[in-house]
Amino acid sequence: MSTALLQIEQLSAPGMKMAMDWCLQAGQLWLLFGRSGSGKSQLLKAVADLIPHQGQVFLNGVEAAQIPAPLWRRQVMYFSAETAWWRETVALHFRHPPSEQQLAILGLEPSVLTQPIEQLSSGQKQRLALLRGLAWQPKVLLLDETSANLDPESTQRLEALVKDYLEQQQAAAIWISHDVAQQQRLGGSGFCRDLSPRESALIAAAPSEF
Amino acid sequence: MQTEMILISYADLAVLSVLVVLMGGVLWLHGFSHVRQFYWANLRTVLQLSLMGIWLSWVFYAQNPFWVFLVGMVMLFAAGYEIAKRQHYRFARYQTILIGLWSLSLTALVLLVGVLTLIIQPEPWYQPQYAIPLLGMLLGNSMTAIGVGLDNLTRNSKQLKAQIEAQLALGYSAQESMQFVKQQSLHAAMIPVINMLVAAGIVSLPGMMTGQILAGASPMEAVKYQIMIMLLIATSTAAGSLIAVELASRRLFDARSRLQLTVLQKTKD
Repeated sequence: MSTALLQIEQLSAPGMKMAMDWCLQAGQLWLLFGRSGSGKSQLLKAVADLIPHQGQVFLNGVEAAQIPAPLWRRQVMYFSAETAWWRETVALHFRHPPSEQQLAILGLEPSVLTQPIEQLSSGQKQRLALLRGLAWQPKVLLLDETSANLDPESTQRLEALVKDYLEQQQAAAIWISHDVAQQQRLGGSGFCRDLSPRESALIAAAPSEF
Repeated sequence: MQTEMILISYADLAVLSVLVVLMGGVLWLHGFSHVRQFYWANLRTVLQLSLMGIWLSWVFYAQNPFWVFLVGMVMLFAAGYEIAKRQHYRFARYQTILIGLWSLSLTALVLLVGVLTLIIQPEPWYQPQYAIPLLGMLLGNSMTAIGVGLDNLTRNSKQLKAQIEAQLALGYSAQESMQFVKQQSLHAAMIPVINMLVAAGIVSLPGMMTGQILAGASPMEAVKYQIMIMLLIATSTAAGSLIAVELASRRLFDARSRLQLTVLQKTKD
């Protein structure tokens, strides 16, 4: 068996009730669900090395501590539920601005790039934050309720974009979602993981592969 | 044109203090409820300045570098303490005072020694008549700027945590992610100095220049001294704020470039 793209061993962080093991293969999309407050976000932040934690995470066999933290986060990228913006317009946050085609896939107008941040809806911001991160071509996407503020149609467009990305880049993703329809759509074709009551309630099934 | 300074007698001061007492009474009649504090503040000014006068007369007379050094150190530590006192959030384990002392000594102290040995060149170079007032002016201004800069930095780091962590998550380094917060802090620190420089000579007549003119110096000579002081203050506040903001923002991250706001403690208000 080839080495996993992302290997998580005995990872625990404040807010999680027990240590987790996890193995992600290239091209896999995992859904992660579980009660609020069960430590799902903390788990993803720990994987991205954004918070202090115990245990180890390996990307293609290389442990996080062996490479500089910024380099790790650029490959194992966390997308927070609440997007944050620190410059005046959207375009200033991008490494290189997304193409009109990319924007169109997500149902966004090119004019959003020059708009002041405070004029955008939270759904627009979530889609733009995803593009902002994908521009760095991460190998692992850690999506924290990335479609929480989207209408059903936009949600499906976003899912399609993520699936295409994983396939093209041979990347993997863990997606936190409370949306039952989404769990059926994505989970049906593959893997979900739910923090069980013992694991502080992370349901675990399996990821979808394309 | 060095004219003799007209001296003020203690009797003159006593007459002025009667005015203050009378004003206190007038304030009281108008319902001002803090007359006691008003009197106490006046009394403190008189006592503190008198003690300073006695102490400085002695240091000036002694001409001993040790005493000059001691006065300088007391002023430096008092400034460091004032910086820490003005913070909404303080770094754990006295780090705020340490940051303050570092940034003050690397700027105000170094500039003072430089200007005494290279520009003014009194004999000996540590002559307290020059060293102590100069140090006081440099420290006073640097202290304000550094205090404002640090307060702004720590408060914004708390408030803009999400914006900093979003950048960390995208793979920016700790200092890249702090850039926008550092810029704001430097801006806040430098505004009062810039305002002072702009107002000098139009709105305000700087205290030292006024003193020299009262003491009989020619206005042009007094102005040259004042310009020198202003340029020194501009340099020392700018360098001091830069160093303090840089030192503080480094302490907000751990070895894995994670934002660790637990190093900040709320000061009791």
